[in-house]
Amino acid sequence: MENNNPLSPHIQIYRWHISSLVSISHRITGIINIVAITIICFWIASLLLGENSYEFTKVFLNSILGKFIILGLTWSFSFQILSEIRHLIMDLGYGFELKVTKITGLIVIIGSFFLTILIYLIGKQFI
Amino acid sequence: MNNVTKKWLLMRVSSVVLIPLMTWFILNLVSVFNKDYVDIVNFFSNQPSKILVSLLLVFAYFFSALSISEVFEDYIQDEKIKNVANKTLNIFAIIIPLITIIIIFILNT
Repeated sequence: MENNNPLSPHIQIYRWHISSLVSISHRITGIINIVAITIICFWIASLLLGENSYEFTKVFLNSILGKFIILGLTWSFSFQILSEIRHLIMDLGYGFELKVTKITGLIVIIGSFFLTILIYLIGKQFI
Repeated sequence: MNNVTKKWLLMRVSSVVLIPLMTWFILNLVSVFNKDYVDIVNFFSNQPSKILVSLLLVFAYFFSALSISEVFEDYIQDEKIKNVANKTLNIFAIIIPLITIIIIFILNT
């Protein structure tokens, strides 16, 4: 059967708003997260090779780049968590007014940075 | 209930399950990522992480397969290409978590 569904216009056609920024970032962080989870799966599989083979991974994860990647992943997870909560609230029928979508969008963007710091501090047992 | 509604509902349910699992996992990942081999193996092979990581993998890949298929729906017009992309996506979404969960269950210090 022929599919006559229209395709989405490419994103550069739209003028940028907070809602569109949150929406496209939600998709991008979703893809980053599943790629990261896939790398974590390979990381778990590499544990089967034993302690000696793990040395390189440990050195990498303790490097500045390794720590930066984990920090970036923490932000990506934080963004996805807050954005998903926003989606669920909208699915319940709330927050569709233009002003409210801007406010909740800003909460997701700014909140993701605060949540990243909070998760890092709790994870590292500073709190 | 039609297929599109079912898909939407499954996405919402899996996202509700994923929010606490993702929060728990990222907190623990930050805490263990740069530790020694034994600590990492202990984390993945002990309870409750064994079960929670397995659940995270199942729901994360399930949710991703549904979400990415939405992106395919939005941007791919050719039905054949879309079908191949969706099938490839579904195969990966089953194989990767399945193998990883088996590895988690055979990991021992």
